Amino acid sequence: MADYKKSKLDGIKDWLTTTDHKKIGIMYLWFALFNAVVGGSLAGLIRSQLFTPDSKLLTPEMYNQVMSMHGTLMIFFVIIPAMVGFGNYVVPIQIGARDMAFPKLNAFTFWIQIPAAILMFSSFLVPGGTTQAGWTGYAPLTTKQFSGTAGVDMWIFGLHLVGMGSILGAINFLVTIINMRAPGMKYLKMPLLSWTWFVNAVLMLVATPVLAGVITMLLSDRLLGTSFFQPAGGGDPVLYQHLFWFYSHPAVYIMVLPGMGLVSMVLPAFAHKKIFGYKGLVLATCAIGFIGFMVWGHHMFASGIDPVLRSIFAFMTMVIAVPTGIKIFSWIATIWGGTIRFTTAMRFGLAFISLFIIGGMSGLTLAVIPFDVQVHDTYYVVAHLHYVLFGGSMMTLLAGLFFYFPKMSGRVLDEKLGKISFWHIFIGMNVTFLPMHWLGILGMPRRVSSYPQRPEFALINQIEMLGYLLMIGGGILILYNIFKTLRKPKNAGADPWDVNQIQNTLEWTISSPPPPENFETIPVVK
Amino acid sequence: MKRKIGLITLIILILAASLVWGKEEPLTNWLQDPATPLAKDVRTNFWISLLVILPFLFISEGLLFYAIVKFKAKPNAKPATFHENLRLEIAWTILPALALVIIAFPTFTTLKKMEVPPKSDLVVEVIGHQFFWEYRYPRQEINFAEKPLVVPVNKVVTLNCTSVDVIHSWFVPAFGVKQDANPGRITHAWFKALQTGTYKGQCAELCGALHALMYITVNVVSDEEFKAWVEKNKPAPVTPTPTVAPVKSKT
Repeated sequence: MADYKKSKLDGIKDWLTTTDHKKIGIMYLWFALFNAVVGGSLAGLIRSQLFTPDSKLLTPEMYNQVMSMHGTLMIFFVIIPAMVGFGNYVVPIQIGARDMAFPKLNAFTFWIQIPAAILMFSSFLVPGGTTQAGWTGYAPLTTKQFSGTAGVDMWIFGLHLVGMGSILGAINFLVTIINMRAPGMKYLKMPLLSWTWFVNAVLMLVATPVLAGVITMLLSDRLLGTSFFQPAGGGDPVLYQHLFWFYSHPAVYIMVLPGMGLVSMVLPAFAHKKIFGYKGLVLATCAIGFIGFMVWGHHMFASGIDPVLRSIFAFMTMVIAVPTGIKIFSWIATIWGGTIRFTTAMRFGLAFISLFIIGGMSGLTLAVIPFDVQVHDTYYVVAHLHYVLFGGSMMTLLAGLFFYFPKMSGRVLDEKLGKISFWHIFIGMNVTFLPMHWLGILGMPRRVSSYPQRPEFALINQIEMLGYLLMIGGGILILYNIFKTLRKPKNAGADPWDVNQIQNTLEWTISSPPPPENFETIPVVK
Repeated sequence: MKRKIGLITLIILILAASLVWGKEEPLTNWLQDPATPLAKDVRTNFWISLLVILPFLFISEGLLFYAIVKFKAKPNAKPATFHENLRLEIAWTILPALALVIIAFPTFTTLKKMEVPPKSDLVVEVIGHQFFWEYRYPRQEINFAEKPLVVPVNKVVTLNCTSVDVIHSWFVPAFGVKQDANPGRITHAWFKALQTGTYKGQCAELCGALHALMYITVNVVSDEEFKAWVEKNKPAPVTPTPTVAPVKSKT
């Protein structure tokens, strides 16, 4: 977006070889945007297949591939890289640094995502196709005996590369935030986006090696004939679930904490009030990060694990609702008594709060073990996770997009188009995912490619298609908005939203887009 | 704005209609027609949790909505400047925590009921295969697969679940039972059906291509019918065969 050099070819070379955290951040966002288009199209295939009870649109094998890849792409190739993109762009500026601590490593962590994505996409093309075991890839369904295709190996290698990127990126963020804060930028003066990234980097650093470990064990089961997860050789399939969720539950917070940081930047700006309870929000962020490591077992209530262990996991799951509640109430108190400007960014931010409340509450019902067992692996869980990941993470990302786009490109996105796309996505999201709660309570399992014996599920699935189309409409409008705005002159100014009247954050004190190295002289924070 | 409201109303109407339509269908699930005492407990547990959770949902959504409507920027309006209030923050930490204790108690008592079955009247071994269920009645010596499970009404049926290949999950919504069947492990579940009839369910853990078609049917029958069924399906009494081959003398 921001081109510093005149010649076209120089420009491209510059992007390919850059170590500038801002350009890398922007590339992360383009990468996530591209994958979001692919992942969103796969979602369309899923919804079309389920439109009728016994659809022949996709074969069951193909449906399972599409469903697995939709999950994998949206989590590892859309939400996480998009969060990293905003973090990469904003955090160094916000703490008054010229770049990340290790700029070359930063470039490496981005470029390693490209072969990972190529592995994922091309795994559809090998004989037998890609993995059919969902994004969770439970063993022994993913062992050689039951999934012979090389697609599973490619899926594992792709996750390895992404995981490596996560670990290196986390180290980079941690070193940057610990060592490179401007003079006077004490920990308790850091803006909340930087704080959430601090905690998030710890989560990534601690959790991701476990994912790398468990998929390596799976790989060696597949290729070397070990039997970590094969009962015939003394292995245990439940071990896979423990290790997988030890990463993947914190991963939920990896996907939502930086988004909470984004929203904490957006709300004060447009309510014209300082963020309420800054210290409480910081503490809540740390608490969520810590307790997030002690709740993984709530994904396994039906696996037959020990009831005492289950009670502990259920209790911790309830406990984690407390810091989440603190955040929600603090955000509401932030806008309370303010003068709210309903920009598109603010709308997405407010929508995030309202949808995340629903997602959080349905999550709380899932801590009630007897109820969880009934709706586990049904559409109730699908509804819950989409309220958290789409209503949560995705809404914060869209809020961040409209909020930081002027900083990144020097141009303000079209507000009128933005508001239309907001309503499409907000209404579409609810029409698609709210009825899924009911579907799950009725007993429709997730990950089914058809339901010929249960035609009563059809009507709700058909309503959901309507919501999907609304969301796609909103998505296309956002894409159009981005490309249209990029052709306009750069006239945003340093602080297009008048943020600095409310609370001083460094990113709004320098020009849009910021110069290379951000600051001529490192600012001193009072 | 009017159009938007119109659209939202339309959607709500469609949703409401779908719930009404949904009710007319022959559904069996734990919420509408619980068929076992356990499913009833699950339902009570769910209602108690909702009773505690829903006020928080409505209060927080209500406050948010009120703030959005009330604090819209107007010319000359000045924003408030408060950004801390320790008492308020302590209140919204303690209150939800107390509410969670209220949810936790019925959760743990219901969990205990799930985990500690009463004395078993009938033991059935449930074995998952890609993509069908095999049932074995060890005491009756009956084995079969790909046919409905037959159990007597008002009797405690204990299930020992396992699998021969990948993970499956035995899920009958109306019974309040879902139990993963893991290869290499035996997991347990139990139910006591209160009414005769046919109950539907299906495998709830992705187990491969035909996962969607791995249905479960349970026929709950009266005691007499069950006895007749056992008699009919019992393996024919085997005529005792001599364990030692008769010795033939060569000479």
